[in-house]
Amino acid sequence: MPSEPDDSGMDQFVAEARAFLDANATRRAHISDEVVWGEGEDRITYFSTDPPEVEAAKVAAAKAWQKVRYDSDFGWITGPPEFGGRSLSSLHDLVYDSLEAEYDVPDTGVLSLIGLGMIGPTILAHGTEELKRRYLPAMYAGDVIACQLFSEPGAGSDLAGLTTRAVRDGDGWLLEGQKVWTSVAQHAAIGLALCRTDPDKPKHKGITAFVVDMSAPGVDIRPLRQMTGGAEFNEVFLTDVRVPDDHRLGPVDGGWGVALTTLMNERASVGGEGAGAAGRAVALPFLTELLRANGRLEDAAARRRLAELYADQAATEYLNHQALRRFRAGQQPGPESSVSKLMYAQNLTRGAHLAAEIVGPRLVADTGEWGTFAWTELLLATPALRILGGTEEIMKNILAERVLGLPKEPSIDTKSPFRELRRSGRAEA
Amino acid sequence: MSTGTGTRAAAGTTRAEASDAELTELRTAVRDFLSSRADEAAVRAAVDSERGYDDKVWAQIAAELGLPALALPTAYGGDGYGVVELSVVIGEMGRVLLPSPFFSTVVLAATAIVASGDAGAAERLLPGIAAGATTATLTVPNRAGSWEPATGTLGVHVTGSGSGAEVVLEGTAPLVVEGGTADVVLIVADSPAGPTLYEVDMTTAGVARTTLRGLDLTRRIARMDFRDVPARLVGEPGGAAPVVARVLDVATTALAAEQVGGARACLETATAYAKERMQFGRPIGSFQAVKHKCADMLARVQVADAAATEAARAVDGVPGSPDPGVATAVAHAVCSEAFMAVAAENIQVHGGIGFTWEHPAHLYYRRAKASQLLFGGPAVYYERLLRRAGVRPLRTA
Repeated sequence: MPSEPDDSGMDQFVAEARAFLDANATRRAHISDEVVWGEGEDRITYFSTDPPEVEAAKVAAAKAWQKVRYDSDFGWITGPPEFGGRSLSSLHDLVYDSLEAEYDVPDTGVLSLIGLGMIGPTILAHGTEELKRRYLPAMYAGDVIACQLFSEPGAGSDLAGLTTRAVRDGDGWLLEGQKVWTSVAQHAAIGLALCRTDPDKPKHKGITAFVVDMSAPGVDIRPLRQMTGGAEFNEVFLTDVRVPDDHRLGPVDGGWGVALTTLMNERASVGGEGAGAAGRAVALPFLTELLRANGRLEDAAARRRLAELYADQAATEYLNHQALRRFRAGQQPGPESSVSKLMYAQNLTRGAHLAAEIVGPRLVADTGEWGTFAWTELLLATPALRILGGTEEIMKNILAERVLGLPKEPSIDTKSPFRELRRSGRAEA
Repeated sequence: MSTGTGTRAAAGTTRAEASDAELTELRTAVRDFLSSRADEAAVRAAVDSERGYDDKVWAQIAAELGLPALALPTAYGGDGYGVVELSVVIGEMGRVLLPSPFFSTVVLAATAIVASGDAGAAERLLPGIAAGATTATLTVPNRAGSWEPATGTLGVHVTGSGSGAEVVLEGTAPLVVEGGTADVVLIVADSPAGPTLYEVDMTTAGVARTTLRGLDLTRRIARMDFRDVPARLVGEPGGAAPVVARVLDVATTALAAEQVGGARACLETATAYAKERMQFGRPIGSFQAVKHKCADMLARVQVADAAATEAARAVDGVPGSPDPGVATAVAHAVCSEAFMAVAAENIQVHGGIGFTWEHPAHLYYRRAKASQLLFGGPAVYYERLLRRAGVRPLRTA
């Protein structure tokens, strides 16, 4: 990504970032777009399936690289200087990311996707000085991984229906309940938990947020095995977990506002399609080779499906360009990121099913042939893409209500006490 | 649009370039004009008129707004802007389904003349087009319905061994956009040198032209029968292929903008109706089944808008834009599909009222399907996209 000529400070920032990266990392060899069929790892992964020792090494490498960034002032580009940031714009952040993408550095997603991208800004916005001093520098220096203790078995799309309780206990709180679909909990030192503190208030108004020490007694983290066979996520059981009151984030019963800050910082998967093994597998060059290798390049029906998919993939990429261009021009973000997320999930799903059709019966069982059974991994991962980070239905509600201004569902009760909603069964609805 | 514009060298010429603010200003000016002169009643009146469009509105578009000149070269009376600016204008016209010779004259014919590199033809024709005095069109009468100018597939040919500047044409062009009223017709015909571009002056030549009953009521199509019709060479003998290729890139991109304009109008109409139409004691837009339909329409429109915008930037050679060959093919496919889907869903959101003749929904549905098929349709545009993206063509093709 070239720097914008209208920003003189940006040129200096780019030069500084370039010097830092040159000194601390090696440039990636140019990755050819050309696909050599039958060569390379026969895996099409979306979710990690690393054995524990490999995963532990990756987490250690991620923490170490974040430390290097932090020590050179690139650890928290948009953050305030008193907590280790350098107070630059989101555009600087984007520019740095695109520069770093040219180098071979460890993937720091385990730190950044949840902790640095969502929890950090939430603590910054709602935390006491003491909480901010205690956790923010440690997080952005790569020492502390944070997870998000939001979803529950009974509170998915309807997050405000959560029932994990926090009750006063002397100068602190006792937490009791169950969280689910918690990414990176097994590596996390802290978690941001939403708990019900007053069931007699309406459901959005009786929730409080806490920073929980994940090593505290009563925190039980269990891997949640998903349909792919791997265990990317966790269930977190909280049994009489004591949290000091100074670890409360925001006012008592003011947790919904805290949650909204976190969710607003949920970075849309803009540009995500190009990245990773799954993105490359459903991109045109690889799918074309798949057709060729299977003698289907003259099959008009297969070509048509390939072309339809490619058209939508390219257009989604253009949508991301447009969003980035607007962002750089200082315009308010439009609905692009929500649309992009919908399209991304649909395109990846279509790609997996197209490949499955081409591979045919050799997808049913592992014949050992390269480029066949490997598709099962992606095929089994794609349903999650239309659920995680906001289900497709919720994303469409958001587009319809916030962008188009259509009326909300009249049945959503924001006034009755939460306790009564539960009794009438409406909390689960 | 002559104030404070930058210029940029593109394809060996200097092209004027509007800033974002100027594009917005242009959009507003065209929208304001069309909202007063081309509301639904005016569009319906034009549809029922003999020519199929309102002559007075066309004259005002040229004289008051100067739109035909916008993207023509400055050497021939134009303002020298590009497809980015042209797309803004076309998008607004698409929004109201303006019946007009603008697309056939400015997008099809003028682009062909410029692309032919024929200075004489440009001198003869472009100033009149820029001023709105001349209407024109282009046809590539491929019998298979695509716009591929391939030898042996064209319905019109040069008689005898004529290959000079003046020839005689014979044959039929079955589907000519605004062919019933155009003053000048540019036509790709088979000649001994291969497919070649010719100019036929409709004010003198005795061509039989028949306006056909059309699916799209807001864009007229005519059949032209050529019997010993004198025509004049444009460009080089046998030189039609690269000209048509350029026209298709520009025209599908402009069409994409027009489709996005039409699709956005459908989305807005459907959304407004979903907010006001009450059933079961509540607005139908509060039901998720309807709400999600509208969200799907919005998603399609956003993606199509991005595809059309990037394609226009790519054709104009804006730095950082994608490969124009791929981007134009992407835009043509995605915007064709999006407009069709959104125009169809618009009728569903409206229910019974949307199926009436009085409601404009069918006018958009008609335009959506006709423009999707104008340059050959899905069978053609998906294969073109694959070819542009580097996938080996079908051996049988």
